[in-house]
Amino acid sequence: MVGFGVVGKGVATILARRYAEKVKGYGFNPKVVAIADIDGTVVNPRGFKPEKLEAIKQRGYPISADPDFGHPGMSALEVIDSVEAEVVVEVTPVNIKDAEPALSHITRAFKTGKHIVTTNKGPLALAMPALTELADYNNVYLRFSGTVGGGTPMLEFAKRCLAGDKILAIKGILNGTTNYILTEMSQNRVAFQKALKNAQNLGYAEREPSMDIDGFDTACKVVILANWILNKKITLKDVSRTGIRNVSLQALDKASKRGNTIKLIGSINGEGATVKPTEIPKNNALCVSGVLNAVTFFTEFAGEQTLVGRGAGGMETASAVLRDLLDIRHKLASKVFT
Amino acid sequence: MKKIVMKFGGTSVATGENIRQVASIIADSVKKDRRVVVVVSALAGVTNQLVEEAEQAKKKDEKQIQEFTEKLIEKHVATVMEAIDNKSIQKEVELIIKKTVGELEKVLTGICYVGEITPKSRDYVLSFGERLAAPIIWGALRDIKLQTQCFTGKEAGIVTDENFGEARPLMNVTTHQVKGRLESLLEKKIVPVVTGYIAATQDGVVTTLGRGGSDYTATVLSVALSSDEVWIWTDVDGIMTTDPKIVQSAKMLPQLSYGEASEMAIFGAKAMHPSALEPVIEANIPVRIRNVFNPQNQGTLIADGEETKSTEVVKAVALIRDVAMINIRGAAMVGAPGSYSKVFDVIGKNNINIMMVSAAVSEGNISLIIRRNLLGRALSTLGIVLIGRGVINEITSEDDVCVIAVMGANMKGTLGVASRIFTTVAQKGINIRMIAQGSSELNVSFVVKEKDGAAVVRAIHEEFKLDQI
Repeated sequence: MVGFGVVGKGVATILARRYAEKVKGYGFNPKVVAIADIDGTVVNPRGFKPEKLEAIKQRGYPISADPDFGHPGMSALEVIDSVEAEVVVEVTPVNIKDAEPALSHITRAFKTGKHIVTTNKGPLALAMPALTELADYNNVYLRFSGTVGGGTPMLEFAKRCLAGDKILAIKGILNGTTNYILTEMSQNRVAFQKALKNAQNLGYAEREPSMDIDGFDTACKVVILANWILNKKITLKDVSRTGIRNVSLQALDKASKRGNTIKLIGSINGEGATVKPTEIPKNNALCVSGVLNAVTFFTEFAGEQTLVGRGAGGMETASAVLRDLLDIRHKLASKVFT
Repeated sequence: MKKIVMKFGGTSVATGENIRQVASIIADSVKKDRRVVVVVSALAGVTNQLVEEAEQAKKKDEKQIQEFTEKLIEKHVATVMEAIDNKSIQKEVELIIKKTVGELEKVLTGICYVGEITPKSRDYVLSFGERLAAPIIWGALRDIKLQTQCFTGKEAGIVTDENFGEARPLMNVTTHQVKGRLESLLEKKIVPVVTGYIAATQDGVVTTLGRGGSDYTATVLSVALSSDEVWIWTDVDGIMTTDPKIVQSAKMLPQLSYGEASEMAIFGAKAMHPSALEPVIEANIPVRIRNVFNPQNQGTLIADGEETKSTEVVKAVALIRDVAMINIRGAAMVGAPGSYSKVFDVIGKNNINIMMVSAAVSEGNISLIIRRNLLGRALSTLGIVLIGRGVINEITSEDDVCVIAVMGANMKGTLGVASRIFTTVAQKGINIRMIAQGSSELNVSFVVKEKDGAAVVRAIHEEFKLDQI
């Protein structure tokens, strides 16, 4: 595991709490053999016991201070190179400038024959076509269901449940923070700056909110959906993007009179990929409030399908990591038998 | 502001004078506000010398290797002196050449000590031809005050699989890297000079692109940078309707579709290898074949779209010499699944390429065309493996034949083309020995006696009025 923040710890918690039933129910017996964080690593080639993971979590930073397994100064790349493992769980913070260090972690994992489960949107937003090709070439899996919809299986739903149909377009509210702000603005007539403050106080928005309110986060998710579901080889700079800074209360009032409201919508269709504040009817299936996410898949034969769920959160995203690990386990199992 | 990837082949960089011509062509495009990426082949003949040296190195001693590398330095430095005026640039390029050849000498010495050459080390040796040529072009461009930067295919970001000698690019990874490394230079009007033919694996081990060669590098870079066109600069005006040595009135073809151009590969070095066309077909980027020594000429445009839609049914006719025909007959082949595969298997395992196949529905015989110099080997192995095993009764061959290939995209679905072709041949009193048409319908190939080949080409050229194209 590379990165030991909210998501990394969440994964450790789920593994500790659900360990016995995972082994029993799925024959799934994951062992965490190393955790790399910014200031060092812990390594135990035999796998950390759930209690030990809990203890490492409790002690806090730096994790490499652990007396038994700590390796201060050992970098994540060294761990990926030298530790015997099947999967690297990459859960470092997002960076959409150059996607580092996650991009290097992922490519190194591929070159050393390790599968990747990541919740990090940066590398996918900037280099998704390249990364999927590299994974294929090295015969490993790249899974990232936690990047879109958090705990809500939006990617799997489209890829698996709609497999025989053709998805023509995708449209959705893909960012909980901006949806919270817009909901506050329209339902409680709170001005943008005030709504943003509220979101920050509640922990929905970051101190540096640009990633959310300027639409970058939504655009990253649009890139992932476009590549994975629609097989369009695009990256972040191919998405035309407008944030919600300029959405005014007046505009929301006007929309409301028409029975509509304004949401930050990410969409991909034949014309391209866009993120922009868009007026939609209040009775539309997509029109969810608060921090909820929603996505609609427009299919050729099965009509419109909408999925609603919480889009973010440490435990929600951690559950997506577990889902991906199980998926890889199933894939490997079927490979062994065929 | 157009983005053009230009590739310059071996003869266009054969001498210092030619390199000056190349530099002026590039300068002219830069002046017209085009963004240019230059792809360079090895100097004429150098790659062949390297191939030979790579094979010979295992049997040679250090002194012989040194002789070879000294000659190599001499050749390149002489070209530098001709191509570049500025003394300090001359010096700089000369130093790069000597350093690069020094590296080559170590590699060859290593091969000589170990006494073996692997596909990996062979690719490494072959990469030196382009690595020595690119700095000269780079110097010549600086000499005429252009801003430029020199890259190997690996430095430019081309990543391939590990199929040494015939590596395939990982297109998405390549696109990601090439964009990162070259795009900002183009915005600043700096001309990147990239070595053709060579690339690297994801771990940085040098690979070569095989038969697609430097053209392949050009089309790959073009797709990665979404360029507007690819210009392949060579020493002929373009692709011709036929060999002008056979038909004096042969014309240059102003345009071809991708499909037609792929069929033209049998014209050999003057056309593009189909695998080099592959990347641009998908991205629909037009390719132009142009003449370094006649830059006013627009050359042959290869593209799919309105501009290459034409009315001519037949566009070109090629004569392929030095081939031989093998006829295999066996009553037991009739209705026996797998009997053809036995034949192909034997030939394939002997590393013999089958150029043309024809078998009738009677199933009792099959005819093949292969290179003439391989005929003996093919006959003896086929005889040893297949005769007397109850499958094949008789193998005969003819080594005085040639193949005529008639090409054109509009042949597809046009009635009566074959009849016109064969009537033309019949009127000359010439017998056709074997016929094949692929289901793509872009090409009809047939076999006649070699002595009749030229006459048949002339007759078809005339029948379809190719001199008026």
